[in-house]
Amino acid sequence: MGKSSKDKRDLYYRKAKEQGYRARSAFKLLQLNEEFHFLDDPNLKRVVDLCAAPGSWSQVLSRKLFDKDDYTDRQIVAVDLQAMMPIDHVTTLQADITHPRTLHQILELFGNHRADFVCSDGAPDVTGLHDLDEYVQQQLIMSALQLTVCILKRGGTFVAKIFRGRDIDLIYAQLGYLFDQVTCAKPRSSRGSSLEAFVVCQGYNPPEGWQPSLDTNSSVVEFFQDCPVGSNENRTIAPFMACGSLESFDSDATY
Amino acid sequence: MHSVSHYGPALSVKFLDRFVYAGYGPFLHVYEYATGKLANKCLIFNKNKVHGVRIGDNGLILCYGSRSVNLTSIQDVHEKSSIVESEKHTSEWIISGEFNSDCSQFYLLTCYDRVLTCDLECHVVKKSAVYGERSILYSGSIKVVSEDKVFINAGTVMGGIIVWELFSETLVANLLGHSGSIFYVEMNRDGSLIASCSDDRSVRLWDLKSQKELSVGWAHTARIWHLLFYNNDTRLISVSEDCTCRVWDIQSGKLLQSAIHEVHLTKNVWCVDVNEKDQLAITSGNDGRLRLISLTEQESLQRNFTIKQISDDSKVPFAKQEIIKGFHWFSFGLVAITSEGKILQYGNQWKFLMQNPQFKSYSMTNGISKDNIVIFSNNKCNLLILKFNSEGSEIVASRELHVDTLTKSQNCMVCRHHDRNEFFVTLESPNPHDPFMCLKFDTDSLNLRGQFGLKKPESFASSCLEIYESFLLVGSRFSVIAIFDLNNTSQESLVSRRLTPGDTTTSIHLVEFSIGGPVFVVTNRDGYYNFIRLKLGNPIEELEIIHSNRTARGFLEGAYYDNNGDLITYGFKSELFYIYNETQCYEKAVRVCGGAHRQWELARTPEGFMLVFIRASDLHFTRVIEPKVPEVLQCGTHGREIRDIALLKDFKYKNGHLFCTASEDTTIKLCHVHESTGQVTTFWTLRKHVSGLQRCKFLSSKLMISSSAREELFLWELTTDCNTKPYIKFRQALPISGNNPDLRITDFSVKFEGSNFILAAVYSDSAVKLWRYNHLQNRFQLAVEGHYKTCCILNASLFEFKNQSYLMLSATDGHLSLYNLTNTMNGGTVCPLPSVESSIQIHQSSIKAMNISVDDQNDAVRVYTGGDDNALAICAFHWESQTKRLLPHLKDVQRSAASSTITSSELINDDKQLVTASVDQIVRIWDTENDKLVLQEQKYTTVADTGSLDAVSNLLLIGGVGLSVWKTEHH
Ligand SMILES: C[S@@+](CC[C@H](N)C(=O)[O-])C[C@H]1O[C@@H](n2cnc3c(N)ncnc32)[C@H](O)[C@@H]1O
Repeated sequence: MGKSSKDKRDLYYRKAKEQGYRARSAFKLLQLNEEFHFLDDPNLKRVVDLCAAPGSWSQVLSRKLFDKDDYTDRQIVAVDLQAMMPIDHVTTLQADITHPRTLHQILELFGNHRADFVCSDGAPDVTGLHDLDEYVQQQLIMSALQLTVCILKRGGTFVAKIFRGRDIDLIYAQLGYLFDQVTCAKPRSSRGSSLEAFVVCQGYNPPEGWQPSLDTNSSVVEFFQDCPVGSNENRTIAPFMACGSLESFDSDATY
Repeated sequence: MHSVSHYGPALSVKFLDRFVYAGYGPFLHVYEYATGKLANKCLIFNKNKVHGVRIGDNGLILCYGSRSVNLTSIQDVHEKSSIVESEKHTSEWIISGEFNSDCSQFYLLTCYDRVLTCDLECHVVKKSAVYGERSILYSGSIKVVSEDKVFINAGTVMGGIIVWELFSETLVANLLGHSGSIFYVEMNRDGSLIASCSDDRSVRLWDLKSQKELSVGWAHTARIWHLLFYNNDTRLISVSEDCTCRVWDIQSGKLLQSAIHEVHLTKNVWCVDVNEKDQLAITSGNDGRLRLISLTEQESLQRNFTIKQISDDSKVPFAKQEIIKGFHWFSFGLVAITSEGKILQYGNQWKFLMQNPQFKSYSMTNGISKDNIVIFSNNKCNLLILKFNSEGSEIVASRELHVDTLTKSQNCMVCRHHDRNEFFVTLESPNPHDPFMCLKFDTDSLNLRGQFGLKKPESFASSCLEIYESFLLVGSRFSVIAIFDLNNTSQESLVSRRLTPGDTTTSIHLVEFSIGGPVFVVTNRDGYYNFIRLKLGNPIEELEIIHSNRTARGFLEGAYYDNNGDLITYGFKSELFYIYNETQCYEKAVRVCGGAHRQWELARTPEGFMLVFIRASDLHFTRVIEPKVPEVLQCGTHGREIRDIALLKDFKYKNGHLFCTASEDTTIKLCHVHESTGQVTTFWTLRKHVSGLQRCKFLSSKLMISSSAREELFLWELTTDCNTKPYIKFRQALPISGNNPDLRITDFSVKFEGSNFILAAVYSDSAVKLWRYNHLQNRFQLAVEGHYKTCCILNASLFEFKNQSYLMLSATDGHLSLYNLTNTMNGGTVCPLPSVESSIQIHQSSIKAMNISVDDQNDAVRVYTGGDDNALAICAFHWESQTKRLLPHLKDVQRSAASSTITSSELINDDKQLVTASVDQIVRIWDTENDKLVLQEQKYTTVADTGSLDAVSNLLLIGGVGLSVWKTEHH
């Protein structure tokens, strides 16, 4: 899970600089999109970028959604613990996504509208206690998911960073209850030596009759308690998909 | 499959009575700390690690970790091997647990700042929380102050510390000041003070009532994980990612650091507990070590004397500039000489013995503690030898001598024969043509028994001495050693130059006899040490280096084996003098002395050591007392991920097998695993690599290769015919092409041609290089060079098939690619890599694991691959007679063979089965018969970041963050 100083030297880093992206992570989203085309939908109007700093995913979203300047019904909201430099067409919010209050703030920004797409590239600080780090990462995904179920339209897409450690199959199973299709995708710009991958969840399809309601006094775990995703101990393995063509740069290689 | 032993992160420790209870992975280990005996190992949870242990006054013990809890009796953990049947789960992660005031209930604090009150049947009877504060916590503690006062101290990620009262569910305080996550919070006994530690590397002390920050303690150099109050809340102890444990005095609300102990390897000390009665602390770390340290004050063990004090005390007036020139420590005290030639003795007080003007201004002092002999020498080749009785109350023999073969002497050294009552004194003149003089004396009568004029080798300046039989071993500057046979002085000495990069040889010390000859440990000031073995004969045939290594620190002055056979090294690092257990890699003691370049002596005493040194012309004595309790209860393994494991399969060694582990921490450990108990013993930690390891493999029963980034590939040679332990030395490094620190040698493979071999090395920049290694010349020579594509290659295997030589590669592009090298390595020139003979994409991305089985009869080569895409596959390369090529056929793929990356695999049971390890922490055994992969068995491993695996007979070693030894059943 650890970060590496090597990141600074690799080709994606240079390429990001050339293309004006704030981080090499931009290519992860672009490569995911190459395979799943979720950003190519002309009806894509409202998106939420969670854990967005320094903002390269927001930049990608901004460039995709605002290829022309005069869209008035389009909206991008980006949230992070860290402050972010402004990005055209992006509303930024400095907040903790695990805090229920944050969800209320985002919901307010969206008014009565539903979002078409929610992504989260969040990674908590690693402590080195593997089980705790995995748990906190899973809770971050669950927090992102909590927001998603409150705001995403039926049929919408949710993309989130995961670390494929122990118990990742539990997460796959839980997501499987809420989405028609769940894939574990690994962009080639993400190092093969890291456990990082992304869940791409397509076709939001919540169980009939489940009315998610946000209560600042309840935790994520409690939130999902009456939904079949909460306490389930089922395990499934989501199909794996490598994204980005073989001709794209290999982030494990030394150039 | 079943687990037989495990070494890895230990997350919790607790003292109670004579015992230490340590959460060791999913186990609880019970140690009797006075003896170090492991009393019991009890499995607490099926999968989760034991993060916390609490012991109630009612004889119950509460273990929690992750979402698991287990409440049982202390008796059970002493007697049972498993109590998993009573494991219970919560829906949220448990941060802390505590018994209530009368131990009729217990509390669990979860990561969403909620407290579950549970009865002793583990039923939740109440849930409590404060309104609106439900974001995730990294830490927290529960303080039961009294029956009706229980505080919850929650350490948040962004919001500081939140203190609330359990029964009223009211917020008591929000303490803001730390920047970043709070990693531990602890309250003192009466609930008036709070101590916290954080991401920001500070320890803070708070007053609850006023909610004021009383003091900030800066000292740790990394994140701090745990702390506690002790000694009636007058002290704090904290442990950190910086591998240290620090003690803080609390003086009128201020934190003052009073001691530092370096306790663990590479990264992270997770937990600490204190036994106030014995003033002991125990720490546990990511390296799986359990370290006991004494918290008793060391100051009382130090004394220092100014020149004036010595003069006053001994009642002799000292001259104006008079200083202490030399000294030697004996069991009865110190004997010293001044620059005026005054000889003084110190026992309880200073005593003047005599004055000898010959030893004015220049003198050297040596001694033989065992015989109570002190030897003074000057630069005019005069010697004064005094022998004391064992109480030091009387001089029982003395001798004065002038050596007239030399006109001048600049160095005098002394050593004692190991079995005969003889000692040797050497004198060296500054003139390179003068002989190197050696005098032999009787230890009782001090009679001169012999005198030898030895021929000095070129550029020689003696620095240390050892005697074995009639052989005098003399260490010198520039890392030179000369060996003289005193029975044959006309013979030229055997000289070894540049054993190490080359500073002064600081000690030579006999450690053992082996069939091949006596073995000596040689230390060098530059931090390197070697073990050398003498092949005796007439003349001495050979000096063989059997071990080479570098210490972790500073100037190395000496080394010896202790009673447990551990190598102890000592020397200076910056301002300190250190004593280090090199075998187990921990610091035994450090003393501030001002650094190297001073008069000093380290003497072994019955209770430990006596360090005597001069600092700013004062004489200092510091006693180092060896603790009565063991220094470690469990020695553990690497502090970071084990990236590869290599078992030496060719032969057994002492009821088990030798193996190497290569780690992210840049070291390789040479270890032994006992075949029935699974006990792992570490012999050596090799520090030659400077970057995180990628691979290590044994090539034969004697040779091992390791590789890492910075193009490091080292060839090592093993010696296994000594009695005490195996030795291993660096033999050669592969030449490098540049200085790209990121260029990794990701794998390699060899093919022997007699004692020489061909080495195929593959690189992260897609380079493939073949090298010839000549054993006699000890030289690698490039033979073939080329590139696969532009992606990173991950595996390489050389094999022979139908008299053709092949190289199989796997890479991050998911392909297996085969090269036929049969006609490539001709002549002495570097040939280009031929084009790929055949290639096939099997995985969507990186192929991490690759095993090859060559089956000549059925005309096929089978390749088993595991990838980042969770898949496992069998691919058979068949011989096509028309095209005369090996062509691939995919036989079977299990797309979801694991829920995460398959990192390592190994063929077992005559290639009929394949074991795989994957990051989902599950080890699986697959049947491979008829080219179908059929899952036979799977089992969870507690080793996180599971990345390496090796097997021999029915032993299975699994490496990652920790090391597990399993046994497989033969099917
Ligand atoms: C890998 S970075 C995201 C990079 C981003 N997608 C980009 O392309 O620039 C992960 C981010 O997650 C944020 N994060 C972690 N935990 C969070 C939380 N609880 N709430 C909000 N942001 C969080 C971190 O501050 C960090 O900026």
